[in-house]
Amino acid sequence: MSERDMSETGKANTISTENGHGRPTHEFDYADALARCARGEHAALQQLYQYEGAKLLGVVLRIVKDRGMAEDIVHDACLNIWQRADSFDPQKGAARTWIFSIARHLALNAIRGRDREVSVDLDDPHELDDDDTFQQASRVTDAFDWQTGQRMDECLQQLETERRNCVLHAYVDGLSHAEIAAHTGAPLGTVKAWIKRSLLRLRECMA
Amino acid sequence: MSPSNEPDDLHALAGEYVLGTLPMTEREAFEPRLANDPELQKAVADWEERFFPYTPMVEPVTPSDYLWPRIERSLKASSASASRPIPHRTPSSHVPRRRLAHSLPFWRGVAGVSVAAVLAMSVMLTNVVTGPSTPEYMVGLLAPQTQSAGGVVQTANRQEIQLIPLGTFEVPEGKALEFWTKADDWQAPVSLGLVEPGQPLRLRLDQLPPLEDNQLFELTLEDDSGSPTGLPTGPIEFIGRAVEI
Repeated sequence: MSERDMSETGKANTISTENGHGRPTHEFDYADALARCARGEHAALQQLYQYEGAKLLGVVLRIVKDRGMAEDIVHDACLNIWQRADSFDPQKGAARTWIFSIARHLALNAIRGRDREVSVDLDDPHELDDDDTFQQASRVTDAFDWQTGQRMDECLQQLETERRNCVLHAYVDGLSHAEIAAHTGAPLGTVKAWIKRSLLRLRECMA
Repeated sequence: MSPSNEPDDLHALAGEYVLGTLPMTEREAFEPRLANDPELQKAVADWEERFFPYTPMVEPVTPSDYLWPRIERSLKASSASASRPIPHRTPSSHVPRRRLAHSLPFWRGVAGVSVAAVLAMSVMLTNVVTGPSTPEYMVGLLAPQTQSAGGVVQTANRQEIQLIPLGTFEVPEGKALEFWTKADDWQAPVSLGLVEPGQPLRLRLDQLPPLEDNQLFELTLEDDSGSPTGLPTGPIEFIGRAVEI
């Protein structure tokens, strides 16, 4: 057998990609789709993908910042959703949140694993404090258009802008403590303390 | 640092896990705890719900046309082979395929088993292989989940390899097995072409650097015309590393 040229592009079947743009996603019954996945209905996963594929890829790509890796992760996330659909418990949370959390944590594991390979040890909260100068906290503006109309908005509103930015940079961009420190110019130890305290204040506020 | 306060610490830790700011070592320590601690599960679920409304701040990105077909292939492959179901994994312990190639423990595991498989099959090989050539390297190709042997790669020299299938493998309709290799310091696997199940295959690796110790070989399930991307896209059916013998 001779070696074949693998570079030729295999024709991929194109599915109708209604990626949820402009679609009223609230009409889609995510919990039902998961229940149908658990029963082995491929069509249910395909519908989920049609509704949420583009948003999942957006969320993952924002974190991993590599298109190929992001598609790999969405692929793996879909298989995870499929395989674990029977473990989804609607009593414990919303189906849509569950779906996105699977993709997000796959993405976070991928980049945190990459951080470790780089293995710059920035873990000592005091290490950088002396070297870094504290930046213009008073001039900090919102890094995100974060108002969603949800109750959590009020709680985020109560945080100082730079702390809110830290929390949202972590959630949306998947930035590590060290990356947030580099991004904001705040010392690493300060960033760590801000995030921890912000989380506790947010929780208190939401209680 | 504030003085230790257990409930606060638990909720802050759960929050940092959801935000993603925990370093990998802490994520890895957190997840087994999470699996067995309902209180922690509740704390994580609460944070997921609190932050989820901010997900739509991210712009959607339309996936490439071949992503769904690829997912569908993997689905069919996983349900077609009930004998080797893809194991349930927590999202966090799941290593995306591309990352797998960099996961040292994974490869150590595979390499260890490959050695055992090669030793077990060495007698068998003398019957299968004709000719006096003395291979420098050998690779036992094993199914990642069942560890059943799928084939052996052996080398007559560092530029020529022979793939000897062991047992049978049913390739689903419209699919093919594609053969790949990757040395430790290569960026990505290189395709060695499609493989006819059950047929021995001799390949010259003229275009590639000489075979080296620990080099990875794998067979993935792809479209019958081969991977559309030039990189492995389907599930890994058999995998192993070169062992110097």
